[in-house]
Amino acid sequence: MSRKLVTLYTLLIVACAAMACAEPGSTTGADSGPLRAIENKGSDTLVNLALAWAEAYMNLHREISISVTGGGSGTGIAAMMNGTVDIANASREMKAEEVAAAEANGISPVEHIVARDAIAVVVNPSNPVDRLTLSQVSAIYSGQLTNWSQLGGEDRPIVLLSRESNSGTYVYFLENVIRLGRSESQLLFSPDTLLMPSSEGISVEVRQNPNAIGYDGLGYVTADQKVIALAVDAGMPYVLPSVATVNDGSYPVSRPLFMYTAGEPEGEIKEYLHWILTEGQILTGELGFVPLQ
Amino acid sequence: MTGSAVCQTSRPIPDAGCAIEARSLHVYYGIFRALKDVDLQIERQKITAIIGPSGCGKSTMLRSFNRMNELVPSCRTEGKVMFRNRNIYDSGVDPVEVRRRIGMVFQRPNPFPKSIYENIAWGARINGYRGHLDELVEESLRLAALWEDVRDKLQQSALALSGGQQQRLCIARAIAIRPEIILMDEPASALDPIATLKIEELMRELAERYTFVVVTHNMQQAARVSHQTAFFMMDADRAGYLVEQGPTRDLFTNPRDRRTEDYITGRFG
Amino acid sequence: MHNSRWSEFAVESLIRVLGFSTVGLVALIFVFLLREGLPVLSEVALPNFLGRAWYPTFGSFGILPLVLGSVLVTVTAIAIALPLGLATAVFVREVAPGWAREILKPMIEVLAGIPSVVLGFFGMTMVAPWVRQTLGTATGLTAITGSLILTYMALPTLISVAEDALDAVPKSYRDAGLAMGATQWQTIWRVIVPAARSGIVTAAMLAMGRAIGETMAVMMVTGNAARMPTEWDALLRPVRTMTATVAAEMGEVAKGSTHYHALFAIGIVLFVITFAINMTAARAIFAKRRRGGLR
Repeated sequence: MSRKLVTLYTLLIVACAAMACAEPGSTTGADSGPLRAIENKGSDTLVNLALAWAEAYMNLHREISISVTGGGSGTGIAAMMNGTVDIANASREMKAEEVAAAEANGISPVEHIVARDAIAVVVNPSNPVDRLTLSQVSAIYSGQLTNWSQLGGEDRPIVLLSRESNSGTYVYFLENVIRLGRSESQLLFSPDTLLMPSSEGISVEVRQNPNAIGYDGLGYVTADQKVIALAVDAGMPYVLPSVATVNDGSYPVSRPLFMYTAGEPEGEIKEYLHWILTEGQILTGELGFVPLQ
Repeated sequence: MTGSAVCQTSRPIPDAGCAIEARSLHVYYGIFRALKDVDLQIERQKITAIIGPSGCGKSTMLRSFNRMNELVPSCRTEGKVMFRNRNIYDSGVDPVEVRRRIGMVFQRPNPFPKSIYENIAWGARINGYRGHLDELVEESLRLAALWEDVRDKLQQSALALSGGQQQRLCIARAIAIRPEIILMDEPASALDPIATLKIEELMRELAERYTFVVVTHNMQQAARVSHQTAFFMMDADRAGYLVEQGPTRDLFTNPRDRRTEDYITGRFG
Repeated sequence: MHNSRWSEFAVESLIRVLGFSTVGLVALIFVFLLREGLPVLSEVALPNFLGRAWYPTFGSFGILPLVLGSVLVTVTAIAIALPLGLATAVFVREVAPGWAREILKPMIEVLAGIPSVVLGFFGMTMVAPWVRQTLGTATGLTAITGSLILTYMALPTLISVAEDALDAVPKSYRDAGLAMGATQWQTIWRVIVPAARSGIVTAAMLAMGRAIGETMAVMMVTGNAARMPTEWDALLRPVRTMTATVAAEMGEVAKGSTHYHALFAIGIVLFVITFAINMTAARAIFAKRRRGGLR
C-alpha cells in the first residue's frame, strides 16, 4: 500500500518536473522572447468579435497571447477595476458609479469605441408581423400590449424575451427603446419578461415559439429568426438593420461598442487597440457588426 | 369444514379427523433437498409438536403447510399437502387464500410498528371484515389472554409491550382472521421461562377451538404441551425425513424407533 | 502500553477536531453570508426588501417573487417526484427480480451523475416545446418545466434513500403480513411502506433540499421572469427562482453595492430555508426513534 503511494508521488513529481521543463521549451520555438499575455473580458455581445480579433492578431504576432472571456459588460468592467484583466469589453458606457468606484481604486478608466452594433428586434418566422414603430416596441416590452392581434398579427399572447440585467444590451434597450431615450421616463421591462442567461437562449426560444419577441445584437441574429423593420414614428419609413442603414443613421437602434483600459494603454495593449481600430475593422463587418468609418 | 379427509396412519389415531396432511412431500432449495418423502397427519383441534435436531427440516415442514416456503425464490415443492380435500399446491389454489385459513406465529415476536388495536384490526381489514372491529379486537385479545394487560392502552405502540406480551399479541392477531390451523415456529424460544409457560397455557386453552402445529427444539415443551408428536431427522445428504409420529405420551415413553429413543434420551442432537 | 494510549488520544483528538471543523465551516459560511447580506437592511427599506418587485438595476429589491418562485418550483417537483420515486424504490426493492435490480440500480446512479447543464439544455430544447404544445402555454419556459427537470434531478436521491428505508424494514414484518393472508401489494403498501415512513420523509426532504438549491438547469428553463406566481395557473407561467437570480446577477454587481448585499441576503434566505427543511427531516427521524417506532 505505502509502496504504491510512494510510486504515485514519484510519478507526480516527475510529471511536474517534465512540465516545468516543457514550458520554456515550447516558447523557444517562437522567434522572440517570452510570451506576453493580454487578458480581455466582458460583454457577451462583443465576445465573438473580440475572439476573432484576438485570433487574427495572434496569427500576426506570435509573441502575444490574448485570452477572451464573456460574462457581461458589468463583469468585464468589474474585473478591469480589480486589475484582473487588461481590457474590458462593454456594450454600454461605464456608469457614473462604476467610474467613481474605479477612481476610488486608483484607476482612471479610458474608453475606446471599437465598433458599432445595431440592435435587431426579432420574432418567429411564422409571425406575420414584420414592422413596428419604436413606441409600439416600447408598449410591448412595458406590458401595455400583450397580444399580437393588437399589432395586426394573429390572436396569440406576446412572450417577451430579454437578456439578463447584467447585459449592456439590456440597459441600452431599456433606455433607448422602452423609455424612448427620455430620461424622465420611469417605464420598466414588464415583470413578465423572460430574462435569458444567454443570446443562445433567446435565439432558441424565438426559433421555437411563434408567440415570442426578442432583441439582440445584429451579430447574433441567425437566418431562422425574422428581423422586424423599425420606424421612429408612425409616419416615418420602416428600416431593417444593416451596415448601410446604421452608417447612414436611418436605422434607429444602434450603439457604439466599447473597450475600456485602466489608464492610457501602453506597449502591446496600445498596439493591439490601434490594430483593432484600423485593420481589425475588416473583421467587424464580417461578423455582422458595423465597422467604424 | 368437511372433515372427510382420510388419514393414512401407521398407527391408528383415536378420534380420527385430519386437519391437514402431507403426502409424499419433497421440498428442495435449488439442488439441495431439505425434506424427503414426508407423510404427516395433523389431527384436528389437537396440538401437534414437531421435534428433531437442528437442520432436520422442521421449519421447512411447518412453512410448507401455508406455502410460506415459496417466498424463498429457489424453493420447489413436490408431493401433496391436503387441506379440506384439496392439494394446496394445485395450480388453481391461491396461496393468499391458504394463508388466510392457516395462520402463523413466528419465532421472534413480530408485531407491526402500529398500535395494539391496529395490529389486530389489520388482518380483518385486508380480508374485508364487515363486522364490528372493536368487538373483534376485544375478543381476540381475550382469547390470547392479553385483554386485561392492554385494555387501557389499545392505541399505544405494540412495540412498547414486553416480549411475551408481543408474542401473545401475535397469537391474537393470528386468531383475529379466524384461521382453522395455527402454525407456530418455536414460539417461545425468544421468551423467558414465565412468558413461555403463559404461551403454553394459552395454547392448551385455544386447542379447544384451533388446530396447532408447533415446531420446538425443547423436548420438555413438546412433552408438556402437545397431544401428538412427530420426530424428524436428517439423512447423510442432510435431507430431513419423518422418523415416526404418534401420541406424545407413547412417543416419549415407548418410542418404536431406536433413533427416536436415542434422541429423547439425549444421546445425540 | 503508554505509547498506545498516547496514539489513541491523538487519533481521538484528530477526529474531534475534524468533526468540529465541519460544524465550524458551516458556521463560518453563515457568518460570511450574514456579514455580506445584512447591510441590505440598512440600505433598503424593509417593505421594499419584502416587496413584490425585483428590479435590482432600478432600486427595487423585493425578494417575494423569488422566494415564492423557488417554493413553487421545488414543491411541485417533489409532489411529482415522491410518488414516482417511491413506486420505483418499491419496485426495485420489493418486486423486481434480482437481474432487473442489478440493471436498475446502476442506471439510477448514472441518472444522478448527469450534469445539470445537460439537463437544462435538454429541458430547453425538448421539454419546453413539449410543455408549450401539450399544455398550450404562451411559452415553454415555465415553472412546470423547471419542476419537471427538478423532478428528474431529485429522483435519484429520492429513490436511493427511500430504497434504503425500505431495506431497513425487518423481513419479519413482511412475513407477518403475508402469513396473515395479505397479498404482496397489501403487504407492501400497508406494512412495509408505513414502517419505512420516516425514511421516506427523509428522502423527500433531502430531495427537496437538493431541488431548491439547484441553479443551472432551473435558470435555463423557467424563463426567469421575476413575477409574483400567485395566479391559479402560475405553474404554466414563467418564474424566477432565488438561485437563478444569484447566479445570473452575481457576476455583474460591484462588490459592496446594495445589489451585492441584496444577493447575499437572498443567500441567507436560501440557507435558512434549506436548514429548516433538513431540521424537519431530522426531527421526523428523532420523533420516530423516541416513540420506539423505528425497527
